[in-house]
Amino acid sequence: MNLSFPIPLLVLWFGTPDLAQAGKRLIFLHPVDIAIIAIYFAMVLGIGFYLKRYAKSGEGFFLAGRDMSAWVAGLSFISANLGALELMGWAAATYQYGILAAHWYWIGAIPAILFLALVMMPFYYISKTHSVPGYLQLRYGESARGLAAVMFSCMTLFMAGIDMYAMALVMKVVLGWNIHFSIWMSSLTVGIYVALGGLFSAIFNEVLQFFLIWLGALLVPILGMIETGGWHQLVARIHQNFPAGNYTHLWGPLAHFSTNPMGIHWTGIVFGLGFIISFGYWTTDFLVVQRVLASKTVHAAKMAPIIGSYFKMAVPFIVILPGLIGLAVLPYHLVPEKVAIATGQHSYNELLPLMLARYCGPGLLGLGITALIAGFMSGMAGNVSAFATVWTYDLYRPFMRKGASDDHYVKVGRWSTILGVLVSIGTAYFVMQFSSIMDYVQALFSFFIAPLFGTVLLGMMWKRTTAAAGFWGLLAGSASSVAMFLVVKFNPSMLAYIALSSDAKPMAENMYRALWSWLVCVIVTVAVSYATKPKPVEELTGLVYGCTELPSEGHLPLWKRPIFWAVISAILFLILQWIFW
Amino acid sequence: MEPKPQDVRSGGNGGERSVAVDQEDSKPHEHHMIPVWFFVGVILLIYGIIILGTGIYEFHDPPPTVLANTHPAIWWGALLTAIGGVYVYIYKPKKS
Repeated sequence: MNLSFPIPLLVLWFGTPDLAQAGKRLIFLHPVDIAIIAIYFAMVLGIGFYLKRYAKSGEGFFLAGRDMSAWVAGLSFISANLGALELMGWAAATYQYGILAAHWYWIGAIPAILFLALVMMPFYYISKTHSVPGYLQLRYGESARGLAAVMFSCMTLFMAGIDMYAMALVMKVVLGWNIHFSIWMSSLTVGIYVALGGLFSAIFNEVLQFFLIWLGALLVPILGMIETGGWHQLVARIHQNFPAGNYTHLWGPLAHFSTNPMGIHWTGIVFGLGFIISFGYWTTDFLVVQRVLASKTVHAAKMAPIIGSYFKMAVPFIVILPGLIGLAVLPYHLVPEKVAIATGQHSYNELLPLMLARYCGPGLLGLGITALIAGFMSGMAGNVSAFATVWTYDLYRPFMRKGASDDHYVKVGRWSTILGVLVSIGTAYFVMQFSSIMDYVQALFSFFIAPLFGTVLLGMMWKRTTAAAGFWGLLAGSASSVAMFLVVKFNPSMLAYIALSSDAKPMAENMYRALWSWLVCVIVTVAVSYATKPKPVEELTGLVYGCTELPSEGHLPLWKRPIFWAVISAILFLILQWIFW
Repeated sequence: MEPKPQDVRSGGNGGERSVAVDQEDSKPHEHHMIPVWFFVGVILLIYGIIILGTGIYEFHDPPPTVLANTHPAIWWGALLTAIGGVYVYIYKPKKS
């Protein structure tokens, strides 16, 4: 679910069959580029075959033996989130909206990642859960676990299928590849290496993909800055090319809904994105949390997201900066997809491939395309490995076959990986036939993630929260989100009430819908908690703040303490806000 | 290095094996897993050599890209080769 933030944008940009009908081909690969891509596929499959021997137990297959260092878990944590569509989608978004897009990498990520590391990760880790729904079972019981597991499994597979379809469309337009070839080749490769090596294989390949994404994409901003002559010249050229736009300020244009192209107010960014959506995604989406659960110690589990926060903060240099460079150096203006189809011009979503073609000759081009493929595969592997774990441990084991051997559950995990990939492929073909469904399915995930954050947060922080309250709060929050979505769908004028302004645009709707659904979840959870009987305190040990003895870090030197590196990360985050204010 | 609780660390097959993922883990292991950094080094080294070779060839046949005169394939290929070489050297599997 690496696309949870830019969902509406990416659907609009990549999710329409018009893109595939454009008949354009942006990049022509040379034999050396093909060789580089082929070597990548051989390497990821080779790693999967090598790691099969280490993934024979449940702990090995589903949690990589809980033996990952902070660095491995941290890089994997970020890589699973760094999908190819995110790279291309946000580069395109930057061309359209300017540096506002960086909010999704900074305020939309850093505070939540640091909160996960310092506050929530110790409870996930100490509780020895295999998954986020597993934590809900320990805290609230089977009903909350079942509800969360079913919603997560369905949404994960739908999202994987949609990502797969969108990526195949991009490959068709960019490289001229057959859409069926792209879908089957990339997804089966992911399916094979995850089924063989489980989370070991997913994490190893994600670390590999992390390096390829960075080294494949970093050349564009470097050469772009050389061409423009530095930041100040870049800004000057953007103002020269687009005198009416404000593309280089983060917060200034957010004073009112009507003063920025996203149609959003700063309260929506701070509270909707920065608090609810961001915290919901980074602290409860099992796709990313699973990587950190594989850490070898509580200390490593806290350090992993903090390490990841530094790299997440740097991602705008390979995503946002190319968008700004495109505004400065391209001799023509990019246009919306529908206009591009009608007029033959280039669209926003072709920005990153155009920049690759502008700067990268043979070999480097292959590396850049490999970065995009690696991004897709890391996101896909994240989805299927998380699905396999939740399906096996949170649905199959408790509800279908209790008490089987560890070997049996590993076999189920391997087969559910393959099954997950096949269902995702089926979803991709389904979406190909009914592309309008993408808007709804993408929205479905956002229905779930904000209330889940309320449920997990209250469960961890307030010992009075009861089992019934956890279930009904999650259900009420998700139902309220669906209701708000449907109300706006059938009566668009209601958006003015949900987003608090008649100038609000769909992006603002997502932020405020998340905020209200979280509030509904919290209010219902608190109300039901007071009306029902809480668990005895002794049953909450290891699960709830105040009932759990957390490992002391007082004996560590300052520079080895997670809080030290988290504070530096937070200071860097604030400096970036100030620089680009 | 913090102690690792046995009930968390051991596998479902009775904790019969333990693996090293990178060199932060200095505990003795029954089976040594090749560190992930070695795989990273191998692919970067291969890519670096290929791209460096392409860059040398481009002295005779420069690509029609912006800033081709700065020969990015040469210095980027050299960078990948250097990073990959260092990783392969440091993390190459050792004979037990």
